[in-house]
This record gives sequence, C-alpha cells and structure tokens, in this order.
Amino acid sequence: MARYATLLLVGVILALVPLTTGGSPYYSRITTLMLVLMVYAVAFNMLFGHTKQLFLCLGALAGSSAYLSVVLTRELGLSPWATIPLGILVAGFLGGLFSYVSVRRGLGVIFLGVVTLAFSLIFYNLVLGLRELTNGETGIVTQGLGAGILEGPRSSYYMLFALLMIALVLYSALMSSRVGVAFRALSDDELTAELAGIDVTRYKVIAATVGSLLMGAGGAFYAYYTGLISPALFSLISVDIVVLITLVFGGMGSLVGPVLGGAAVTVIDELVRPFGQLNVLVYGALLIVLFLAFRGGLVAVLRKTAKLPIP
Amino acid sequence: MVPILIDGIVYGLQLSLLAVGITLIYGLGGVLNLAHGQFAVVAGVAAALLMGNGMGAAPASFLGVAAAGIFGLLIDRSLLVPAYRYRGEERLLLGLVLTLGLSFVIDGYLNLSHPNVSLTIRLPMPSLTVLGITIRSAAVVTSLLAILAFGLLFLFLRGTLLGKAIRSIIQNEVGAELCGISPSRTRTLIVALSGLLAGLAGVAQGLFSSLGTEMGVEFTILALIVAVVGGVRSINGTFVAGILLGVVNALASYYMGAYVTLIILLGAAMLTILIRPSGLLAYWT
Repeated sequence: MARYATLLLVGVILALVPLTTGGSPYYSRITTLMLVLMVYAVAFNMLFGHTKQLFLCLGALAGSSAYLSVVLTRELGLSPWATIPLGILVAGFLGGLFSYVSVRRGLGVIFLGVVTLAFSLIFYNLVLGLRELTNGETGIVTQGLGAGILEGPRSSYYMLFALLMIALVLYSALMSSRVGVAFRALSDDELTAELAGIDVTRYKVIAATVGSLLMGAGGAFYAYYTGLISPALFSLISVDIVVLITLVFGGMGSLVGPVLGGAAVTVIDELVRPFGQLNVLVYGALLIVLFLAFRGGLVAVLRKTAKLPIP
Repeated sequence: MVPILIDGIVYGLQLSLLAVGITLIYGLGGVLNLAHGQFAVVAGVAAALLMGNGMGAAPASFLGVAAAGIFGLLIDRSLLVPAYRYRGEERLLLGLVLTLGLSFVIDGYLNLSHPNVSLTIRLPMPSLTVLGITIRSAAVVTSLLAILAFGLLFLFLRGTLLGKAIRSIIQNEVGAELCGISPSRTRTLIVALSGLLAGLAGVAQGLFSSLGTEMGVEFTILALIVAVVGGVRSINGTFVAGILLGVVNALASYYMGAYVTLIILLGAAMLTILIRPSGLLAYWT
C-alpha cells in the first residue's frame, strides 16, 4: 500500500511542478532535464542498486538509442515515433547482451566495468568517426524532425513525466513480483540465491535489459527535447557519473531514491553552474564523499528521522 | 615499415611504463586505479611548474616524478584506507568508485587552477642517425629510461626479500599475512612506486611532444587497455602487451587513422576480457 501511496504522491508533486515555474523557459528546461535524470537513475537502480551490475556505459546506451533514432529519422525521412522504439530496443538488447556475457563468463565487478567502459569509449569514437552520418563533434540538430510534442516546453515536460511514471510503476510492479524477490535474494548473496533455486543469470539479464530499455527511452526522448545532440551529451562525465551520484545520493535499491536524488543533484548542478568548470571537481568529490559516508542516501535519512516506511 | 615498427616499440615501452602501475596496484592492493593517468599528469604539471620558476629540465623532471610518488603514497594512506577494510568484490567496487572520483577531482582541480600549464622538454640534439635510420633523440632517451625502470623493477621483485614478499601478497594476501608480512605497508610502498612509474611516463610524454592538464583520462584509458590485455595480475604480461599494442597502434594509425586505431585497441581489451580474462599472454609469461 505504502508503495502506491508514494507513487501517487510523487506523481502529484511532479505533475504540479510546471505550474509553480510560471512559464519561465529557464526553469522549464531545468525541471525537464531533472526528469530525464530521474528516468536514468531509475534505470541504473535496477542495474546497480539491485543486481550490483556496475555499467559504465549508461551514456553510451542512452546515446546509442538517441543517435540510432535521430540518424534513421534524418537519413530515411521516417517519423521519430517509428525510430524511437527501435533505438530503445537496441539499447535494451545491448545492455542485456553485456549482462548475459558477463554472468556467463563469470566476470566480476572490475571486468564488467572495464568491458562497459570500453564500449562507452568505442561508442564515443564511432560517433566522432562516422562524420557523414553524425556530423562528428558538431552534432545533429534534432529540432523540426517531427517529434513536435517533445519540443514544446510544457508538452515535453509531461512526456518525460509520463515516461518517469511508467518507469516507476514498472519498477514497483517488478519489485512486488517474483522478480523482486529474486533481486533481493541475489543482491544479498548470489551463491545462496543460486543454491535456493533462483536462476541468477536470468534475473541479472532481466534487470540489465529493463534498465537499458529505460536508458534508451530516456536518451531518445532527451535527444528530441534538447534540439541538438552531440557526443559530449552522452559522455562518461555528463551521464554515468551524474547518474551514479544521483542514485547513491537518493538511496540505492529504493523506489523514491532516484526521484529524491534527481531533485537534489539538479539543485547542486544549478548551484555550481556559475563557476564553470567547477562541476567536474564537485562531482568527483561528491562521488567519494557519498560512497564513504552516505551510502544509504536521503531515503535512509528520511526513514530514520521521520520514522516513515518509505519504499 | 621499419621506422613505423620502431615508433611502435618506442611508444609501446611508454605504454608499458604507464600500465605497470595499474597491474601492481591491482595485483597487490585489489584496487583498480582509475586515477592512474592523473598520477602521470601530476608529475608533468609539477615539473612544468618548477621549470616555469626557472629550474633546469632535469632536476624539475626528477622532482616531478618524486611528486607523483609522494602523491601516490598520500592517496594510499588516506583515500584508499576505507577500501582496504573490505576484501574481494566489495573492495574492488569501492576502490573503483573512489579512484574514479579521485580522477575527476584531479582533472577538475588542475583544469581550474592551472588551465594553461603544459610540460614540453626539448633535448639539445633533436635526432640521431643509427644504421641509416633517423630516430628522434627523445625516443632514445625515453626508451632507455623505460627499459632501465623495468630492469630495476624486475631486479627488485626477483632479487630482494621485499620483492619476494610483494610477490607473495600478489599470490595470496591472507597467506602472506599469516607468514608475518604486513600487507598494508607493502601496499603503501607499491602505490608510491606505481606513482613514480606513472610519473616517469608523464615526464616522457613531455619529452616526446607535450603534456597538458587534460590528458589524464586518455592516459588512464590507455594504461587500462594495456593492463587488461596483459592480464591485470602479470607484470611480464603488461610489459609485453604494452609493446604489442604500441606496434599495433603505430601500424593502425599509419594505415587506418586515429579513430579506428583507438577502436581497435579498445576492442582488443574487450575481447581479451571475454576470451581470456587472465590476459592474452597469460600462458606465455
């Protein structure tokens, strides 16, 4: 019950946000980007929060989906709504593949990290290298490609809001089914879970596929919303690090963690923005401090101080 | 063809030098150091700042390399202490995240405070001719330095008691501890030593062309690729893998261009992990 009440509360609060910003394009952009970050964090929560799969290619997954959709739309003159699902599926397939191979080959944390890091750099260099299709570093203008509803300030906010709510509902549905039980078991101890008859490979691949599908969806929506995509938007520092910080800050393995973290990181980002390059330093320091001293995240703090059973 | 191969071997020696620290820290400390390239940059920036204050190139480089060693020592005694409290996967994970954070802190700090500092060392004689082949003297100097460093490292690990102790920890940390070897003290030594080696590679980059504050990520990635292909626990493997990938890099960038080259190197690392996680050259070494 607490889960559905929380979902409703989160939904109502986020749905009312555009009314409070009073149509300012600046705040409208910040809040929409906050939703993108929250979607990414929900996706990463499945991967890392529940099944301890540290993917260092979140940006590349979102970027693969975004670039595939945009390039196909532009080159073949298709509607974005036909190519977005394709991009999402490819991201999901790639994530599932990495997970399957890593579980099958018995790769530990380090090797999965290195494989996905290598993929993320390969993606980056491919986008730079395939200049005729991607315009390299300059990027592609996505405005006016036909995804009208994702371009207007208010309609795009509600599209991403809908995506986030779908992600959260999907997440809670999964967590209250057998899959959730399996996730909890294998995040405690994989060997014990395997011995208890849980198909560890299957559930890790499920987590990775669903997470990567969500990354792909977030990436594709973001691509059409932001108007211009370039490889820098999907790099390690602009996606992976920020999402990692968001998830840990909010609270790993919880329903509202990604939402709280997304709000907190958006605020921090706005505070640091005037100082230019400072954000790299701040994110690095945050990553260290959070992992050393704040591993439960905001959710754990709220649970303790307000004595609420926050899901 | 021959000049390309020589270029490849020269570059490969630098890659080995850069990567061996990752192998040492991973093998001994169980931490994959994602801030390793930044150690090299710290040495380069320190040397450049000293040279900017009027110091000669040789003493400045020496102090720069020493600065990277001290930096490694400090990091081991501060940032990595919480990671060492855990063992196995937990330590790997925490170490990975902490050093990733550290790499961004160093990059962010250097780009903010010293945005235009770069290290360029010019030798008095730009090139030599040996057997009809012209070689840049910087290539000769850096290769000799790398070979000297590796020679000393092998002598240290094979010939001294401390080296034996280090190899025993690489094989089995708990077993070594039961024999009365203190893993934490040897670990500090190794992280400092890795800092020195990375620093040497950083200064060598300054000899070749120039080293800027933004090159840390690139160094880390290259070092990681080499360490992975060599098998992240084998020092011999890292040495051979560095030279091999240096030659591959030279051939590929001559015949195919820069983007494809990096993709080939990254692909090699990915394939190594998938086919033979203990390193492509694991049998051979």
